[in-house]
Amino acid sequence: MNTKVETTSFYSGEKLGFHRKKREKKPKAKIHWTVGLVITYVFLVFMLVIYLAPLLWTFMVSFKTNAEIFTSPFTPPRILQLGNYIVAWTAGHLGSATLNSFAVSVITLALSMFLGATISFALGIMRWKGQTAVLTYFMMGMMIPVHCVLIPLFTRFAHMGLSNTLTGIIIPYLTFSLPTVIFIMTGFFKSLPHELIESACIDGANIYQIFWKIAVPLARTGFFVTGMMTFIANWNELLLAMVFISDDEKKTLPVALSKFVGPYNTNYSQMFAAIVLAIIPTIVVYCCFSNQIVDGLTAGAVKG
Amino acid sequence: MEKLLRNKKAIALFLGPGLVLFTLVLFIPILQSIYYSFCDYNALTPPKWIGLQNYKELMKDETMGIALKNSMFFLIFSCVSQLVMGLVLAGLVTNIPKGRNLFKNVIYLPCVLSSAALGLLWMFIFSPKLGINQLLAKFGIQGPLWLMDTKGFIILPMWVVGFVSLWQYVGQSMMLYMAQISGIDKSLYEASYIDGCTKTQTFRHITLPLLKPMVGTAMSLNAIGSLKFFDLIYNMTEGGPNHKTEVLATHLYTQGFKYFKYGYASAIGVVLLVLCLVCTFVIQKLFKDDNL
Amino acid sequence: MKKQIAILMSAVLSASLLAGCGVSTDTGSGSAATDGAAAAATAAAADTATQTAATGDEEEIQFMFWDDLNATDDLISQGYAKVIDRFNQDYAGKYHVTPVTTNLEEYYTKLNALVASNQTPDVFIVSPGPNLDVYVDPGIAAPLDDYLNADGWKDTFSSDAVFAQQTYDGKIYAVPLNIAAACVFYNKDMFEKAGCDVPATWDDLIDDCKKLQDAGYTPITISAGTAWCLSMLAGYLCDREGVDLDKVQSGEESWNNDKTVAAGEKLLQLSQYFQPTAAGDTNDVATAAFYNEEAAILIQGSWAIAQMNGANPDIEDKCGVFQFPAIEGGNDPNRVIAKSDSLAMSSTTKNPDACIALMKYFTDDTAQKYTAEVGGKIPVTKVEYDASKAPAQLADVMNIFKNASSTFGFYNESLATTEAGSKFDDTMVSMYLGEYTPEQAFQTIEDWYADTNPGGVRTAK
Repeated sequence: MNTKVETTSFYSGEKLGFHRKKREKKPKAKIHWTVGLVITYVFLVFMLVIYLAPLLWTFMVSFKTNAEIFTSPFTPPRILQLGNYIVAWTAGHLGSATLNSFAVSVITLALSMFLGATISFALGIMRWKGQTAVLTYFMMGMMIPVHCVLIPLFTRFAHMGLSNTLTGIIIPYLTFSLPTVIFIMTGFFKSLPHELIESACIDGANIYQIFWKIAVPLARTGFFVTGMMTFIANWNELLLAMVFISDDEKKTLPVALSKFVGPYNTNYSQMFAAIVLAIIPTIVVYCCFSNQIVDGLTAGAVKG
Repeated sequence: MEKLLRNKKAIALFLGPGLVLFTLVLFIPILQSIYYSFCDYNALTPPKWIGLQNYKELMKDETMGIALKNSMFFLIFSCVSQLVMGLVLAGLVTNIPKGRNLFKNVIYLPCVLSSAALGLLWMFIFSPKLGINQLLAKFGIQGPLWLMDTKGFIILPMWVVGFVSLWQYVGQSMMLYMAQISGIDKSLYEASYIDGCTKTQTFRHITLPLLKPMVGTAMSLNAIGSLKFFDLIYNMTEGGPNHKTEVLATHLYTQGFKYFKYGYASAIGVVLLVLCLVCTFVIQKLFKDDNL
Repeated sequence: MKKQIAILMSAVLSASLLAGCGVSTDTGSGSAATDGAAAAATAAAADTATQTAATGDEEEIQFMFWDDLNATDDLISQGYAKVIDRFNQDYAGKYHVTPVTTNLEEYYTKLNALVASNQTPDVFIVSPGPNLDVYVDPGIAAPLDDYLNADGWKDTFSSDAVFAQQTYDGKIYAVPLNIAAACVFYNKDMFEKAGCDVPATWDDLIDDCKKLQDAGYTPITISAGTAWCLSMLAGYLCDREGVDLDKVQSGEESWNNDKTVAAGEKLLQLSQYFQPTAAGDTNDVATAAFYNEEAAILIQGSWAIAQMNGANPDIEDKCGVFQFPAIEGGNDPNRVIAKSDSLAMSSTTKNPDACIALMKYFTDDTAQKYTAEVGGKIPVTKVEYDASKAPAQLADVMNIFKNASSTFGFYNESLATTEAGSKFDDTMVSMYLGEYTPEQAFQTIEDWYADTNPGGVRTAK
């Protein structure tokens, strides 16, 4: 509680600051071009190229034939091979794979947000002995490589009849997502202004009301950050999905992408087309939420 | 208020479901895998207790030595490079008048893409026949064997993979530092400028000390991430040539799922877990971060 | 941000359009060969068929495979999809097989997870050698002799020799489906222009390489980035030099002996004719260099035929095949490296009859004809096929295979364990990269054998 006042000012001041800066900047359109600034921009544009070039290259290559990729990887395609996309979509069952990935990621997201919130609330706001121990216990989940627990996990799930079901991958996804959510959200809850909780107490709210009506809405931005991380991680997960799911119509997107890797050769052009198709939803989601994420990270980071 | 926050029933209700789930799905398999690390086990026949045999073999295992060295390299490289690049980018991007969102978003973009796909992409870019070596050849430069060179203590492919991981994840560090920087009270800067400090001095004496707790948090995430590092290296080098780029996680995978030595792989997993715990502990002590 | 992305995307699109490209919606995966469209069509057909759900009355079995049967453009895998299709139609109401597929990378991970949880797939594909060993030892794969001998099934196979790599202690544990032989592919045009003849001996090969190089061609394309490709060449050289695998493995001889070292030296001698990027090229890149006519010689398994003809139809006429040359004073020069896809049956299957029926479909005349005529691999049975339909290179491969005095496996599949196989592959790559001399390389393998005694083969010492 000793950092209470600071925290509050940080929190609100930061948020205000963001908007204020934006509004302030517009009228003074003139930028003072100093040498330093020019160098900064040159450097940043260089970074931009390093970041975008590989992604654009993937996009370009996905329109080529396999033979073309190997002879001239950097020239634009001679003929736009849209066929790559047609094959990638139909043969790879990308339609159903996208739906499955979406279902799995969204359900995991919702559950991990809820469970993560309750646990972090108990760890970050409530008071009891052994909080650090329990947090460390949960954090072990971040430290164990998934290969290590794969066989025991699979055997257990097979016995419970959960292998080859989407539920069977949602549960481990949820469990593997929780540690990160808890790690970040606990910090988040710790940084919340305690006056609000105090005043709610005085108004006679019970602990569940404080959780649901005060803490959760205040930590909204934190949920954006962790939610995004959870969603992305599960959207991209390959190994568990590959081992747990056998039916073609239950396969998720990363598994569908691996279909183009053959035993003796890889069909690169179709695989890149499939990668582009698979990346598009991620980029759309990212673009929709990027401002929230950026704000969320900003707010979430300014804790204690 | 105190009483309310010490409500035992509520704590149990909040923690219960998560704790049960976590214990069943993750903790018991972890214990199981610790048990396997003391067994001769190939996942096909029942495990046979052999005591510390696997750990003794680990001590002699040459590849384990390489994997440890490479993992340590990654740990240090990623902690340092992410710290430096993250701070530099954060410092620059917060201080430019225009296009802040564009740069921020583009640099953060690879964080949201799949490591496996990006690994494959970079493998192409660094392959001698297809990638940058062809571009270099146009300027008459003969590029090195980016992913196959084996000279030196830390071999070139490790630096290459290190660069790619920096490329992919620096956005996250940058974002965390940016957040902290923009939270610093502006009056502190104004005061320092009045005192005649240069921008660099201000950065060193005001920004950096205030960033310390965030450095701790970002570093814990980095350290755990780099010790568990798998996707990029697996997709770019598969641990080759001749296991020279093996890291702990790929060594574990090769032993367990290629050579069917599951018990031995579990022992590597235990080493990895212990390393992660130690690292987190050390970083927390170092940066006295009370978020944990 | 959305706007930015949109601008970027449209900029790229319009740039590439302005660059004057046409648009193609050809889904034949770049294979302009006449087979292309047909293959795509059959893939689509297989797609619908393998998806037909069982009605519930059938006895259900699972077939586990390491390539996706719908998305694959591997002709052999497409053939397997057809077999399953046929089986499900013919046995409708009685048996039904569901394919379970992963890619090769995760195949054994998943198979082992299934075995560990008592869900072993009824029929699964497996590489012969130490990989099959892993499943034979604990009794996961069932012996198949009784079924093979029952109604003359075994007699349909071309010879008992096809079971050599699938036999353990006199019992057959897997049924081979087709054979690929490792041969030397060469570009006839380049050979002619450089004035080369098909080499019969090692010295001839070196001469040819010199001539090719003088004529301005890259003599050999090979991949050291994919370790087994380089190791295949090393395996051939070792065998031609007369290395006795059993003896070096059991410790009767050291791995570091005159013959292995001579083989290593020859590998390094040949390596000066490799394409300059050999060290980093993957198998796909190295093979592409051959079918894109950038190099004259490719040492590869015959499974590459379909891939080459598919990617560049012109290569079919230009590509000749010869047997790996003899080394004077060395071993029998008619030994050929062969590799087969094999099916094993789970010992815990509830429906062995269904499994055997399925395996028989894989080795019946229709499937074996497809293997030769479309897939370009050597059939395992005595089937008559139309050689004119088969890829041009297959006839040469068949000839080499027929004249072979005996076959041997890939070195990495002939050693005691998978790990020992990898050790050989990796050490050969290190030697090529200049990290070891041949003596050091084989001493490394010897030390490793002495140290770990893989699979308990070191009995002699």
